[in-house]
Amino acid sequence: MAKARALDRRRKSVKNIRKITRTMELIATARFKKAMDRSVASRDYTLRLAKILENIAAASAGGADGSEGGAALGFSHPLLEVRPTKRTAVLVLTGNRGLCGGYNSNIVRQAQAILGQWRSEKVGVHTAVSGKRGISALKFRGVDIDERYLQFEDKPEFEQVAPIGRAYLEAYASGQIDRLDVVYTRFDSIARQAAVTEMLLPLKPPEAPSGAAREAAAAKAAAAGLASDDYDFYPSAQSILEEILPASFMARLFKCFLDSAVSEQVARMVAMKAASENAGGLIKDLSRRYNRARQSQITGEIMEILGGVEALKK
Amino acid sequence: MAETKRGGETGVRCVITTPESTVLDTRAEFISVPLFDGQRGIGRGHAPFVGRLGVGEVRITGEQGGAAGGLRRTFIEGGFVEVGHDEVTIITQRSIPAEKLDAAAARSDLEKLKAAPSRGDEAITARMRSEEAARALLRAAERKG
Repeated sequence: MAKARALDRRRKSVKNIRKITRTMELIATARFKKAMDRSVASRDYTLRLAKILENIAAASAGGADGSEGGAALGFSHPLLEVRPTKRTAVLVLTGNRGLCGGYNSNIVRQAQAILGQWRSEKVGVHTAVSGKRGISALKFRGVDIDERYLQFEDKPEFEQVAPIGRAYLEAYASGQIDRLDVVYTRFDSIARQAAVTEMLLPLKPPEAPSGAAREAAAAKAAAAGLASDDYDFYPSAQSILEEILPASFMARLFKCFLDSAVSEQVARMVAMKAASENAGGLIKDLSRRYNRARQSQITGEIMEILGGVEALKK
Repeated sequence: MAETKRGGETGVRCVITTPESTVLDTRAEFISVPLFDGQRGIGRGHAPFVGRLGVGEVRITGEQGGAAGGLRRTFIEGGFVEVGHDEVTIITQRSIPAEKLDAAAARSDLEKLKAAPSRGDEAITARMRSEEAARALLRAAERKG
């Protein structure tokens, strides 16, 4: 009976674990939906900022007869300036909790790659890590962490991200860092998320829309009986650019945090679904083994009784 | 051109977006926005422009679906305004509806800022800017009461 009872006990414990993983899956699904809504809601801001940047770029290109255009556009801004990297900053975004498959370990691996690369190039690195998991994993691997953030859960707020962004902007402006890389999990779709390293500073210069696109936009405006989209800038394009570049940096940084939050929930959802399914399989297997053990035990007992009866007959 | 109806729609579309979400998307008769150097009114048919915003109130008059002659006030802190064809887009990092402003909290914030010491040119400029923002917030909050 001992073996059958042990199997039954194990089956019960697996059933309990399945209940937990199933609940976690449902929670992750609900959180994913909320995180996804937030991420979608924030897209509008980035799109509109990009549109203004595009307008400024177009206006500058127009000023230069539209013939040159390209990346230069006559813009000059400290955030666009590419300097030789003497000191760099790396921000690693991981989760505070585990049980989400390879989510945290993928980021840690990616972070180690870039940190190793900077070390081999003998560049000083300021390392900031968000999330308990990343902090402990990198500490274990002997990485010196200069800044730790634990306040980001599944709903990162702009008010929380803004001070971090401002600190990076100040450090960049004062020359304390020459580059900022963010290691995070980019959310491409519900089926695909990838751990990536993205350079946020220096910013990529805005590009003017191509000649054809501008003509199409002008033709559309003319067809609708409107004046063409020639914008005035108050106080000046340069002044707006000075304000808009930090704003677009902040928006991109915020997007990294939002993407990480969404990806974490997706990873947890998938991991917990797999765990629940696996537990189901295990329960099936254990049940079969338990039934077999019980049956063979009964058979053994019957054989014993029969043996006893036979012995008594003699 | 300015007075004619286009596509059966009247007024100006007004959108306020923050990094977290689009907080307002409505049509109204007239919108007044706080540019960096003062308030500016925008009605139907305004020429397109992009402007830097200061700290202050966006006032939206004659909102469709709202009370006649109604006024909606929203406090914003910096950002940009883009005026296109009968569309006003306000892009700001922070926006608070006037109903949610708290004069007492705004006043204590301003006092705190005033009390904090600051040294060096940059710190003083930053402090002056945040003091100005706090004053504008207080003004907007007091107007409510």
